[in-house]
Amino acid sequence: MPTFGSFALLLALVLCAYNFIAGAIALRQMAVGHGAQHAPERLAETARRAGIASFIAVTAAAFALVWCSFTNDFSVAYILHHSNRALPGAYKFSALWSGQEGSLLLWAWLLAAYGFVLRLRHKVDVKLTAYASTILAGIQVFFVLLLNFAAPPFALVQGAAPADGFGLNPLLQYPEMVIHPPMLYLGYVGFSVPFAFALGALMMRYPGEKWIHITRRWTMVTWLFLTCGIFLGAHWAYSVLGWGGYWGWDPVENASLMPWLTGTAFLHSVMMQEKRGMMKTWNVWLIFTTFLLTMLGTDLTRSGLVSSVHAFAQSSIGDWFHAFMFLVLAVCLYTYFRQRDHLQVEHHLESLVSRESSFLFNNLVLLAACFTILWGTLFPIISEYVQGSKVTVGAPFYNRVALPIGLFLLFLTGIGPVLAWRSTSFKSIRRNFILPTIVGVVTAVALMLLGIHPWQDQGTFYSLVAFSLAAMVTTAIFSEFLRGARVIQRHTGKNIVASMLQLTHRNTRRYGGYIVHLGVVIIVIGIAGGAFNQSKEQEMGYHDTMTLGPYRLVCQSYTQDSNANYDSEYALLDVYKGNQFIGRMAPERRFYHASEQTSTMVANHSTLERDLYVVYEGRSQETDKPIIKVFINPLVAWIWIGVMVIVFGTLVALTPNLEAAMVARRGHSPGVIAADSKASHAAGGGQG
Amino acid sequence: MTLAACAALLIGIFAYVFYVPRAAEEQHQKTRLEFLRERKDVVYENLRDLNFEYSAGKYLEEEYLAQRALMENEAAEILAEMEILETMNNTNSPIV
Repeated sequence: MPTFGSFALLLALVLCAYNFIAGAIALRQMAVGHGAQHAPERLAETARRAGIASFIAVTAAAFALVWCSFTNDFSVAYILHHSNRALPGAYKFSALWSGQEGSLLLWAWLLAAYGFVLRLRHKVDVKLTAYASTILAGIQVFFVLLLNFAAPPFALVQGAAPADGFGLNPLLQYPEMVIHPPMLYLGYVGFSVPFAFALGALMMRYPGEKWIHITRRWTMVTWLFLTCGIFLGAHWAYSVLGWGGYWGWDPVENASLMPWLTGTAFLHSVMMQEKRGMMKTWNVWLIFTTFLLTMLGTDLTRSGLVSSVHAFAQSSIGDWFHAFMFLVLAVCLYTYFRQRDHLQVEHHLESLVSRESSFLFNNLVLLAACFTILWGTLFPIISEYVQGSKVTVGAPFYNRVALPIGLFLLFLTGIGPVLAWRSTSFKSIRRNFILPTIVGVVTAVALMLLGIHPWQDQGTFYSLVAFSLAAMVTTAIFSEFLRGARVIQRHTGKNIVASMLQLTHRNTRRYGGYIVHLGVVIIVIGIAGGAFNQSKEQEMGYHDTMTLGPYRLVCQSYTQDSNANYDSEYALLDVYKGNQFIGRMAPERRFYHASEQTSTMVANHSTLERDLYVVYEGRSQETDKPIIKVFINPLVAWIWIGVMVIVFGTLVALTPNLEAAMVARRGHSPGVIAADSKASHAAGGGQG
Repeated sequence: MTLAACAALLIGIFAYVFYVPRAAEEQHQKTRLEFLRERKDVVYENLRDLNFEYSAGKYLEEEYLAQRALMENEAAEILAEMEILETMNNTNSPIV
């Protein structure tokens, strides 16, 4: 099977290279009008088919590696280092992406899969897709080259194969780790598609904005995967690392957040290009930057450029990545400077108070956040280069900058939808903002009366602002739904809920977007709860008690267990709230035999109000009693609920817009009829 | 066995890639008329949005009328150019 896998990878390289070279030649011939009548088209078709076939070849290679893992083929060095006989089946499967070579194979496979779908759907615009397919093939060549020469997943061990493997990193032996990396990679890789379309459209001077329409769903799906990947990673960190938090501003966490920020900016600003033909250069560079940041993220995770708890593989492939990123940047710059006259805008910003300006501010703030995080992430490298010693930037730096930026973004989330396109008058602003503002102020006053005093400390101040803004934005979102639903209600006589549903169906993208905003608000509420975290650490023997906040924990016993994969120590703790028994918690610490490493299994009692988060820290050397650390983390559950709302909102936004399709079939709307008659008049005048 | 699997993969892929039907999908450059049709759809959609947002109370009447006039002018210009191009196309097209 390793031979078959290696052969499949070599075949994939040949196919991707053929797709790239033949595709480029065909496009060149068509551009300059060379070649026999149908020869370039036939050549382009073989290139497209080679791209499709590359998916089959990379799938064969991925299948071969998974097969090696399931059959315990320890003659393959990768399997030897990332699996063992006692490893449960799901983790044997996830071994595919738990190391350098496997994760690159996953990257290549996902890229080939995206390319497969893109090439199958080429009829949507044959020429533009041919450009995108060729660019995508260029990216594929890079990854398959890496797999064939720099990080081969089917390399064999020297001498006889060992009887058992070294096992999977214990931190990866957690259910979320089976889906978190593929989700994140689906997000990273997916941005290659809008990137390829954007670059292709610029290269061929594609008239109009249809490329955005074609890539809209790709971008949203990709963004959704990246969002899920990031939050699954946060949930994994919360459940496994045992430090009581979910986000530590780790370089690898930052690496996933940066393309998410620029991707979010792109999703917003691209609407201005679609609707008003504005910000064309900005959008092109946003997607170029997003793609480059996904490359940087992969580089950081896999090359060991910066140290991180999430970086599971370290090697010398960094040079390959740096060369590739440099090449991509050079191609982007060259294409941009050659074709920049094609990016002339059709309209300019008419007012600083308009939907367009709110998108612009939103973009600037997202980019400021991205630049801050990039600076902090790369600071150890920059400082080492400048002064010879690594200076690491910690969470306080990021929090100091990110919190105000995040709150300002939340504010924009509230005001953006309420503003009208082109320009909004002061009278109109007053009319639309009065209710959300009142709700925001009332919330702030109510919270202060309830004991959240902003003068206590900075954390409390930010929390109060976050809760107030959350109330304001929620009101703005619901007013938008209500206002639209009332219009529907007036015309159809339906009740308000049915009208809201019809409203959402009528413009899924806009109202799905509002649901996503609501999800963001819920997440912010969850994050703001962090200002009120409490923790306590204590040795707990039989029937010892610990009290924290409203909870009382009583240690019933502590013991050990063992299975083929790991030994474990855990404590059994009865939890009471007042005199009411809540349940029994069993925080655990495991020692994995194959890898000889330990990991923590946190016990968490989660409610909407707060999480009771219990960690088994080990045994005291003096007393042999377990050391238990307990955290009370208010509102954390809101974060995960917010993510679910975001997923739901994005799915709504991805749903076809039925009402628009009906209107399109009918042909005209009242406003359009007026335009038509005016147009006929203008046309007549022109001819006369 | 491995050799057979490699050979099957190679032959299958080779046949798929190079056995191309004679009439491959034609790639044509988008015309100005196609571009204008897309623009027209966008402007119509913007008009629909404007009407709806006005009904929802987001615009004051004078703002709405001004915006609507601007968009209708834009649509009129697009339609006028489309009509000219369509007339030219019809004149130049061969008689079947």
